[in-house]
Amino acid sequence: MNQIAYGALSAVPTAARPNQRALAKQRTREKIVAAAKVLFAERGYEGATIRDIAKAAGMSTGAVFASFADKSDLFTEIAETEQRELLSSLREAAEGLSGRNAIFAMIEAAAERHLAELALFQAVMSALWTPGLAERVRRRLSRRPVVALIQAAVKQDFDCDAQNVDCTLIAELIWDSYAATLRRAAVDRLTLEQVNERACEAARTILAGTRRG
Amino acid sequence: MLDAARELFDEVGYEAATVRAIAKRAGVSVGSVFTSFRSKADVLGEVARERLSDLYADLERVAPHLRGSTADRCRSMFAVHYAFEFRRLRLFLAYIAVSFDWQEARHLPVMGSNARLRGMIRDCLAEGVVRGDVRSDVDLELAIDMLVGCYAWNYRLAAAGGADSVALTGLFDRQIGLIFDGLAPQPG
Repeated sequence: MNQIAYGALSAVPTAARPNQRALAKQRTREKIVAAAKVLFAERGYEGATIRDIAKAAGMSTGAVFASFADKSDLFTEIAETEQRELLSSLREAAEGLSGRNAIFAMIEAAAERHLAELALFQAVMSALWTPGLAERVRRRLSRRPVVALIQAAVKQDFDCDAQNVDCTLIAELIWDSYAATLRRAAVDRLTLEQVNERACEAARTILAGTRRG
Repeated sequence: MLDAARELFDEVGYEAATVRAIAKRAGVSVGSVFTSFRSKADVLGEVARERLSDLYADLERVAPHLRGSTADRCRSMFAVHYAFEFRRLRLFLAYIAVSFDWQEARHLPVMGSNARLRGMIRDCLAEGVVRGDVRSDVDLELAIDMLVGCYAWNYRLAAAGGADSVALTGLFDRQIGLIFDGLAPQPG
């Protein structure tokens, strides 16, 4: 390395160097999350250990604990990320559509995502039923943003205030019916088309009632 | 053995209830447990199956007294379900939680698939068609799936938020209202 290049290097502002560290930390986090996703999907929350996750990520358990407080922290982070990504695909699916068409499009987008990563979805669902873990996960993972998107679409078709209709309950029920359908997907080995069809039919039933109610 | 398992699942949940603890509570060896059961999930499945006779008894007691619209009759039936499961809530939550893990759950009776319970709901809906408050072209299996699915899904509020059977019954009453509005015959 000649003198000029060396001199130029030392002239780099110190602010640039912490970015390298932050980048390395981010990469480590991503490696851990990727390994954890696979293991949680394979073995569920209880079955996956930090030791196995660390091994799969090619690092020590200490390194994992440097990035995450504990297993529930790691798990919740994964669930949160999934939720964020779900929300953006729902918004994308509903673009240009309104009312029930937006709702059906969102159900289809959700089903496509969830069926592609069904095992992980199941691990998250199972956690939600485990007292103790459920509180921790729920505190950081609210389905309110998802319900809000559906509710906005419902409001486009119905004047909720005028007809004394509970748009929140309707939106929640539509999403709950979808989740219930998805729960059967693994057990009954449903295809994407079948999940879609059933969840949309459930949504149609709920909306049909609203029209009349 | 099943009594011990039932108590432990209800006391500490599925994960925390080890086969060793179940064996100890029952006063048998771990080996004995595995002679009768393939796995812990298998034990849970048996406990779940065993509770059904009590549940059927509760439902049968209520059946002759069901009144009102189909929606109301459904409400009464599911109110019995909620009251029943809340007597051993942790056990039921354990059952739901494990049912998501389809490797563990392979030997469990599939939640929501109990033929007799589905049959009771189906009969109620079929009577509704005759009575005229359920439309004749209703997809019965889908309607049952919706009702059973939402009934079970509501339990997450008990798992995470500590909601009691009154709260869940109240919520489900409103959800049933929405569902049955949608199942009603089309006007004209």
